[in-house]
Amino acid sequence: MRAKLFNLVNGITLIGVGAVLLDFFFTGRLDQYLHPQFRPWTLVAGVIFCVVGIVYAAAKTNARCCIDGEECVHQNANSPVRAVVAFCVLFLPLAAGVALSKDSYDQHAVLNRGFVQDITKLPSRSGSPTARTQNDQVIPPQALGADMDERASEPLPQDTASSQPGPDAAANGATGQANPAVSLPDDGSSQYLPKAADGNVALEVTDLLYAESEDSLRKMFADKTIEVIGQYLPGSDAKQFKLVRMFIVCCAADARPLAVPVEVSGPMTVTEMGWVKVVGKATFTQKGDRSHVVLQADKVESTDPPAEAMLY
Amino acid sequence: MQAKYALMSWFTFTWQNFLFSFLALAFEGLPFVLVGSLISGAIAAFVPSKIITGILPKNGLLATLASGLLGLCFPVCECGIVPVVRRLINKGLPVSCGVTFMLASPIVNPIVAFSTFAAFRGQAPWLNMWTRLVLGYLVAVVAGLTVRQFKPESILRKDAVKIPARKRLAFSISPLPDAAMNGFEATFPQKLIAAVRMACDDFIDTAIYFMIGAAVAATFNTAVDQQIILPLALEPTLSTVSMMAIALVLTLCSTSDAFIAATFVSFPIFARMAFMVFGPMFDLKLFFLYSVLFKKRFVIGLGIGLFVLIGIICSRLLIYVYAGQAL
Repeated sequence: MRAKLFNLVNGITLIGVGAVLLDFFFTGRLDQYLHPQFRPWTLVAGVIFCVVGIVYAAAKTNARCCIDGEECVHQNANSPVRAVVAFCVLFLPLAAGVALSKDSYDQHAVLNRGFVQDITKLPSRSGSPTARTQNDQVIPPQALGADMDERASEPLPQDTASSQPGPDAAANGATGQANPAVSLPDDGSSQYLPKAADGNVALEVTDLLYAESEDSLRKMFADKTIEVIGQYLPGSDAKQFKLVRMFIVCCAADARPLAVPVEVSGPMTVTEMGWVKVVGKATFTQKGDRSHVVLQADKVESTDPPAEAMLY
Repeated sequence: MQAKYALMSWFTFTWQNFLFSFLALAFEGLPFVLVGSLISGAIAAFVPSKIITGILPKNGLLATLASGLLGLCFPVCECGIVPVVRRLINKGLPVSCGVTFMLASPIVNPIVAFSTFAAFRGQAPWLNMWTRLVLGYLVAVVAGLTVRQFKPESILRKDAVKIPARKRLAFSISPLPDAAMNGFEATFPQKLIAAVRMACDDFIDTAIYFMIGAAVAATFNTAVDQQIILPLALEPTLSTVSMMAIALVLTLCSTSDAFIAATFVSFPIFARMAFMVFGPMFDLKLFFLYSVLFKKRFVIGLGIGLFVLIGIICSRLLIYVYAGQAL
């Protein structure tokens, strides 16, 4: 009877683990934790956990499985200590995670990990920024001149009218901060830039950081009104903050913060690590042998988190 | 007050950060632990020991070399390998082959190869996977050939050829018996249920250690000031020794430890490789498991030998393997 009870506890533990995995998968919370390639594994594992948990709990405890003339060494499987510890260590932390996890890091974790200084050294399938995948960079390779023939034959459906250089382009050049390269005329590749609903160029933090080392990107971005979504991290004074996104390779445990400095005209009322949309212009300052981006914000407003909070 | 401030400055724990990192590790690693356990259970229920011993060459040296590759056919993690080796030695497998199989199988097997590749996605996954497999194989063969120089009775516990009568550890892994192979004719459904039960027992025992390891890793990665770790991470010998010490304490399963290793981004890749090669061969949990089969003196010597050998290889030689890799 006692063996049956702890058999049941072990089965419940396995079913509970499976239920938590399935809960995170079907509620979409798993998207904050894992790279898309790993998510199906969680679904499959959740189903298997539930099935084998049921089998384990329902199986007869006196089933003979170690029949080779030796003492059966499975007696620890019915140990009450083992069953209770397994429940507490395997299931309870996961169940606590369902209720308590906020599915994100706070400001301390971001600062502790330190910001990525050179985005081109981040681990990826390819060192080339043009070969990246998912939502890490929204600029299509064609826009970077990766395949000129393809670009010429099949342009992406964009609102090209709104991608004309804005009136502030000259002003940017006059600040002395912009890279001299940005004053070059548009080569037409900006037609591939993705647009937000209001016509602004919709970029990711990664695009701006890649532009620090990519001359062609700087040319495209410098005279455009761009729109970037990220998390608000207060700066040293009220007129600046950092727009943060987390970059992950496999899961949130290996997340690395990416940040673009933003300059604003005055103080704002945004919660720390809250999601904001910044509309403004990117300026690039040459320091040594590389450029550094600063986003001059015209407007900063709170917004909903994007569907994929992490960048890959 | 100053001491308190200093303490808080290097260790700042918050549940939000801990849970986020811990759950991410759990969601990523548990499916791999499960796959390893299911295969382990299937082998236990459906593959008799004589098949494993039958495919080894008769020559002792060749048999030792071949034993290091058995994990490719019979993927068993380090938690499940000790009972298998004990059973195989009982059936006449040379001790040197048993030790080689025991040390190599947790690394040189397709599940670990795949999980290593997956964990280091974006960080030269092919190079890391092959480096781990080759290094694991070589170290295991060296250990096996060394063991050949000793008499079995000087290594094995006197009661090792039989099931030890001592009380088993509360969380020692379930063994992989020759289920229903000797005198017990089970039907396929019976074998299947036995395989599931053994896989579940393997999973529970292994996953307990995995979850503890994930909790330690999550605390380490979110609460400890990463600036303090940098001096350790910058020096090759210190970083390698540190990572092996962490592996010793974390007692992770080889099917999922690559996911933990991949998160220690402050440490150089060769130090993380030392973590992934040393950990599956020797940790606190394995110290107790090995002691079921081998004499304590041998277990301690094995641990020290592996620590020194892997440490030297990783901190002195792997630097050249990873030359030019931005890892």
